[in-house]
Amino acid sequence: MSGSTREGGWGALSDLPGNPIMWVLIIGEMLVFGALLIGFAVVRLLHPQMVLAGQSALSIPLGGLNTLILVTSGWLAAHAVRLRSDGDIGGSRLRLAGAGALGLAFLAVKGVEYADKAARGLGIETDAFWTLFYLTTGFHAAHVAMGVILLGIVGWKNTSENLETGAAFWHMVDLVWLILFPLVYLLR
Amino acid sequence: MSIEDTGAWGRRLNRAWIILAGITILSVGVALLSPPGQRAGLVSVLAALAASFVKARQVLDHFLDLRRAGPGWRGGFNALLALILGICLACYLAALGR
Repeated sequence: MSGSTREGGWGALSDLPGNPIMWVLIIGEMLVFGALLIGFAVVRLLHPQMVLAGQSALSIPLGGLNTLILVTSGWLAAHAVRLRSDGDIGGSRLRLAGAGALGLAFLAVKGVEYADKAARGLGIETDAFWTLFYLTTGFHAAHVAMGVILLGIVGWKNTSENLETGAAFWHMVDLVWLILFPLVYLLR
Repeated sequence: MSIEDTGAWGRRLNRAWIILAGITILSVGVALLSPPGQRAGLVSVLAALAASFVKARQVLDHFLDLRRAGPGWRGGFNALLALILGICLACYLAALGR
């Protein structure tokens, strides 16, 4: 519900769309992922050759494909919220289902990527780059899996506030990947 | 606060998606065309981090609809993003000098 004002004792958090508790979670998650990405930049500063060698083994096309998948999924989730506010429950659920399916596609691509790295003997204990890579992208993938479940729940219990809350979590997952992808995959 | 017309809201979401997809395709294309095994230069680092900031703002303003939450929240999220990307930029700039 874009544009409405809520009562309920949440102070400034009441101005945000969806449930205020979700925003506390979103801010917390941004800080955690921010710390991980700063850790990645520090490791790159301290061990540039090790990080460059690790990044050379990453697939930019697969990372780029996953970025397109997530932004398209976020776009569908945002449209689901818009349609629900307009009373179009069917259209909203359809787009939410599309958003969830793309979330599963993201996980499938991530699985292909992990399988390729495992086949090449690149595991979490290979060196500091791969430890951070698996930690950061694995933690993010866990959020994607949680987000897909959440989209399913809010698609079922399809009130405007539920949808805004679930979509807000999904957009946070999208947002984190948009910062993670260039730092981990592109900037060498 | 007035409620935005749903058609205008939809067009705004579509524009945000086009910007996000466009920047992603452009940045992936540039990365694929770059010589393999070579470190990024100053321009590449600045461009990539600026593109990240722009993309993050699209998600915050339009998908998360923070543009309706008031300047305090927008400023707060801008500051958090700038802090994270700024520290990363400082590390990358320090690496350029090594």
